[in-house]
Amino acid sequence: MGEFAVSLNNIRKSYRLGFSRRRVEAIHDISLEVESGKVFGLLGPNGAGKTTALKILLGIVFTDEGTGSVLGKPLGDRSAHHRLGFLPEQPYFYDFLTAEKALDLYGRFFGMGREAFKSRSSALMDMVGLRRDSHLTLGKYSKGMLQRFGIAQALLNDPELVIMDEPSSGLDPLGQKEVRDVLLRLRDEGKTIFLSSHQLSEVESICDSVCIISNGKNVTGGPLSELLEVRGVDRITLEGENPEAPARLEPLSVKVEQAEGVTVLEVESAGVYRALDAARELGMTLLSVEPYRRSLEDLFLESVKEEPV
Amino acid sequence: MRNIWTLAVTVIRDTARKKIFYVVLLFGLSIISISPLIPTFELGSQARFLRDISLSLTSLFGVILAVILSINQVPGDVGKRTIYNLLSKPVSRLQYLVGKYLGILMTLAIILFVMGLEILVLIYARLQVFSPVIFQGVFAVFLESAIIAAFCLGLSTFVTVPVNAFATILFYMLCHVKTGFLHAKLIDEASGGLVKIASWTFYYVIPNLENFNLSEQVGYAGGVSWTFLARISGYALLFAVLFLIIGHLVFRVKDL
Ligand SMILES: Nc1ncnc2c1ncn2[C@@H]1O[C@H](COP(=O)(O)OP(=O)(O)OP(=O)(O)O)[C@@H](O)[C@H]1O
Ligand SMILES: [Mg+2]
Repeated sequence: MGEFAVSLNNIRKSYRLGFSRRRVEAIHDISLEVESGKVFGLLGPNGAGKTTALKILLGIVFTDEGTGSVLGKPLGDRSAHHRLGFLPEQPYFYDFLTAEKALDLYGRFFGMGREAFKSRSSALMDMVGLRRDSHLTLGKYSKGMLQRFGIAQALLNDPELVIMDEPSSGLDPLGQKEVRDVLLRLRDEGKTIFLSSHQLSEVESICDSVCIISNGKNVTGGPLSELLEVRGVDRITLEGENPEAPARLEPLSVKVEQAEGVTVLEVESAGVYRALDAARELGMTLLSVEPYRRSLEDLFLESVKEEPV
Repeated sequence: MRNIWTLAVTVIRDTARKKIFYVVLLFGLSIISISPLIPTFELGSQARFLRDISLSLTSLFGVILAVILSINQVPGDVGKRTIYNLLSKPVSRLQYLVGKYLGILMTLAIILFVMGLEILVLIYARLQVFSPVIFQGVFAVFLESAIIAAFCLGLSTFVTVPVNAFATILFYMLCHVKTGFLHAKLIDEASGGLVKIASWTFYYVIPNLENFNLSEQVGYAGGVSWTFLARISGYALLFAVLFLIIGHLVFRVKDL
């Protein structure tokens, strides 16, 4: 139990609507576990329940059923908040405060000393590229600037666990890359990162494991390396194109693609040698043979498609 | 405690930014424009009249301010999602609510104190009468506003802003008529059982805000005793805590 930074077990959550108190089920049954020091991605279509799950972790909304823990404390236990940082979806702050004053406000809740706070906050403002705008009130910030500020405030207490709801949403391409670098650096420092995201390439490049949810239920999940590997299929990359190649190789392969002087075959593992022989006869040079990995996008689309809406 | 203080100071900052402190100018203008209306009796009754009417005006300003300051604190933070950045820090919901309340109280105290000074100066300028006793009346208005603010803040955790506005105004009025009307019903032999029960409930559950109306005592410049002030302070504290507890019980388990 102790090695998990975050765990949720069979969570159910419905919101009550308006005066009639009618219930809408946001989460039917979700379980997940995040190991300490890992980067975890929570994925799912719009309305799947990602934000709700994150709010549950922070005690902002309460579960109907199920248990969970955050940094070893039960859900909603405020004492864990000293050691975690949170970036909400579309973050918004007191617009009458300047960025500096707002960080100061949040720093006080952590009981940070003046000196420690000063150096930490200026380093963070540098890191998110807002140094020049730190005297502006947050009401004058653009959407992406608010997002950047949100990341800075989430890291103020040098948290062990960082929970971020769509960290790169609203950011320009440079900003997205910067966020990715920040997350990678946090991972190198041994922090646990829990993020929800629609940026699958980003998730693919930084997450150790993911959980895909849809309609408030777990669909699939696990270490990315296992999820993306398709057992029994290999990928052969050959140099050279040959007009005869498709006719010759297609019967031996799952898929043949030729482009820009390179031919790529997806082959069942048992047929790798036969395909290689055929390629040699066609005068093509072997570049590599590797286990076939599908993209996270393929996995996502497949998993979510199976779920009837 | 540190968290509560930090939140309270933030409330004052927000108030300053919204320029709510300018009401003291409005108040100054109001009492200056009223003062020519005083009847031309002898000096004593002129001063009494000024003290009386400016204190009534203070009470009106205090109650309106209490509502304006309290009604949108929680709904505003929830609606704009600024509350997520507070509650994801090591801040409990109780600290949040109490911090907001303390901030409202401090704002009220500052504004009402300045209003008291204005009255003092006005009366001295008009009649060369020094009436520090006015601050007893202003203090009572502060206590009354504190009860209204607690009611409004507590209610704001579970009703919308417009509903809250109506409810708080209704509450304020009930609290003022209660001595006369409800007490009469209560001791009236003729009133039926249900009326009696309802009157009894209201009579003992809602505060009697007439307790905080010192126009009479301050008007005649006699003032009230320290023990009287202590007693109404305790009375106000009791109700403020009660309303905050009710608000907290709802807010504690609320999905935000
Ligand atoms: N406060 C609320 N009141 C009522 N229903 C809500 C509330 N918040 C969310 N829901 C519902 O719960 C479901 C899950 O919403 P949630 O915000 O968790 O989705 P999400 O996975 O974060 O989606 P997105 O990718 O669009 O951010 C949705 O059907 C939504 O309508
Ligand atoms: Mg979301």
